[in-house]
Amino acid sequence: MITLRGISKTYGKKKQRFQALKDINLEIPDGASVAIIGKSGSGKSTLMHVMSGLDRPQTGEVIVDGQDILKLNTKAVDRFRSEKMGFIFQAFFVQGNESSFHNVALPLEIAKVPRSKRKAMIIEALERVEMPEKVTEYARNLSGGQKQRLAIARAIVAKPSILFADEPTGNLDSATGERIEKLLFDLNKQQGVTLVIVTHDHDLASRCDIRVNIKDGVIQSVDTAKRPKAKGGKS
Amino acid sequence: MKALDLIRRAGRSLKSAKVRTILTSLAIGVGAFTLTATLAAGNGIRDYTDRLISNNFDPAELIVGRDPEIENSGAPNTSPKEYDASVSNLTVGGDGSSLQIKQVTAEDVEELKKYDFVEQVRPNYQVQARYITAPTTDKQYTLTLQAYNPGQKPELEAGKLPEKGDIENGTLLLPTTYVELLGFKSAADAIGKEVSIATAQPFTEEALQEYFANLQMGAATGGETTAPEPTEQLTTYKVAAVTKQGAASLSFAGLPVMLSNEDTGALYDFTTEGTQNHGKYVYVYVRVKGGEDEQKALDAKAALKEDGYYVQTSQDIQKTITQFVDVLQILVGVFGVITVVASVFGIINTMYISVLERTREIGLMKALGMRGRDVAWLFRIEAAWIGFLGGVIGSALAFGAGTALNPWLTETLGLGEGNSILIFDFGQIAILIASLILVAIVAGWFPARKAAKLDPIEALRTE
Repeated sequence: MITLRGISKTYGKKKQRFQALKDINLEIPDGASVAIIGKSGSGKSTLMHVMSGLDRPQTGEVIVDGQDILKLNTKAVDRFRSEKMGFIFQAFFVQGNESSFHNVALPLEIAKVPRSKRKAMIIEALERVEMPEKVTEYARNLSGGQKQRLAIARAIVAKPSILFADEPTGNLDSATGERIEKLLFDLNKQQGVTLVIVTHDHDLASRCDIRVNIKDGVIQSVDTAKRPKAKGGKS
Repeated sequence: MKALDLIRRAGRSLKSAKVRTILTSLAIGVGAFTLTATLAAGNGIRDYTDRLISNNFDPAELIVGRDPEIENSGAPNTSPKEYDASVSNLTVGGDGSSLQIKQVTAEDVEELKKYDFVEQVRPNYQVQARYITAPTTDKQYTLTLQAYNPGQKPELEAGKLPEKGDIENGTLLLPTTYVELLGFKSAADAIGKEVSIATAQPFTEEALQEYFANLQMGAATGGETTAPEPTEQLTTYKVAAVTKQGAASLSFAGLPVMLSNEDTGALYDFTTEGTQNHGKYVYVYVRVKGGEDEQKALDAKAALKEDGYYVQTSQDIQKTITQFVDVLQILVGVFGVITVVASVFGIINTMYISVLERTREIGLMKALGMRGRDVAWLFRIEAAWIGFLGGVIGSALAFGAGTALNPWLTETLGLGEGNSILIFDFGQIAILIASLILVAIVAGWFPARKAAKLDPIEALRTE
């Protein structure tokens, strides 16, 4: 469960002052799939950064699993992120000079998972994204879709309860994008991972349980056409 | 993140930028090369001087004199000192300048023998011989003469030395270079044969007076006057053994002909008779009982100094030489250090570029919850790898080149067999590499801090 209360975020000072988020209140149940929709500059990315503890708003509370992460110090927030959250980006951000194996190993190393346990977890994650045969392949030799699947493997390897995806299909053709979407929603449905997608693609958004429309830093509407399934829960 | 994971990740990231890594490492490698070679040369020279000292100086023997110059290893002190009968002139410079120096007198020698720690006193006889010859030749050759030191056995080509004590009176040790000159078939052939050494006595005062008297008389009578001839003496000895130049013998004037101490003393008395040097020695060798023990030699030195003697131990002599070596080594070492300092800027530059190139990677790692401190260490370790590589490349090249050139260098410098001018100490090299790693980490400090402080949101926005 992610609860946002009275979040306001301002960038810059005096004349350049720019309010990215204005008094945001939002509740995301465990296991839900949420789309944050808005145009560029609407504040949707800032909202995601605030939810994940990457960015600190000036006011408000961000309560994740009963813990206000704004009250934690940086070290604790970093740990929180490494243990509970996974990230997927539009530009993949895989390390081309590293093999798939070492790309996926990164979150495990950060979370200090013992070496003996890592290999099985990495293979499992790569199997989940259907590319176990690419384990020794350098990431730079992969196609765009494969890179994004590798990024998903990296995001899920440490078994996070929340997955943040920032325009996950933005750089992919529609067929490949479709495959990535399916993968994300399968993870959401089958493993009960809370999925937060930032997008301006309305087709993608329509597949989510909750759609949050944001404009100029203000939530315009929260659309819950479909309810999260009863079996949803923490993995 | 765990240290091992950081080290592996840093290593892989360097591997993906091979050319840059190697070029940066080479810069520090030049410094490592210089420093390794300098250290090796220092070791070699120190080892060589150690051997030189131990082969040429008996650690149990002290050099004891009456003049402060005995302990002075630098330029002679020319400030005036009080005159007494023990002072005599010593020619020092090539310009013929002389130094008045207080000498050890025969009475002093007797006094020295009375100390209970003194085993033996050998005056340093400086005998000016004229020539050496043998019945087998009609030629005469120059030579340097020295008294045999039982504590310092020379290497032999033929013959035998007594187990203990001085060589027999009336015998001598002949350097191998004279064997053929004097008409012997071989070194073995020379053993037991006779050779003669000519010495001369300067004009006595009476001879001079007589000469001047004759000169005046001659001028008056028109008769002939003959200039006085120096009294020459030819002493014959039997060859006891033939010596050869050892690998580590310290001899600037060639190998000396050695006589027994008594025989040398007799020649010294003869050649100095009537001069101010008669019965006086610049210094004497005092053998300390059990003086191989450094402490006993030092105790003896302290006791003698208290009684107004000036003393040099073999350690003092060694110190004088190694001081010179140290200064040389520091000079060359400074160049090595300057090279390392220059390479530090190369590392800083490379690391800054690396941080800039990998902005997104850093952003991603921080977004995934990696601590800023760990990010900084990732880059510092990368710098450390560069330092390590540079150190290994540089010292390996120095080791390879040194090992290959060592025989040639040793021969060119004429150090003799069994010596080597470059001695590589792996402990030293390990410490050197460790220091270079440390230097590289320091060089990577600021670029690493820049990486640690990167804002992940900003970094990930970079397209």
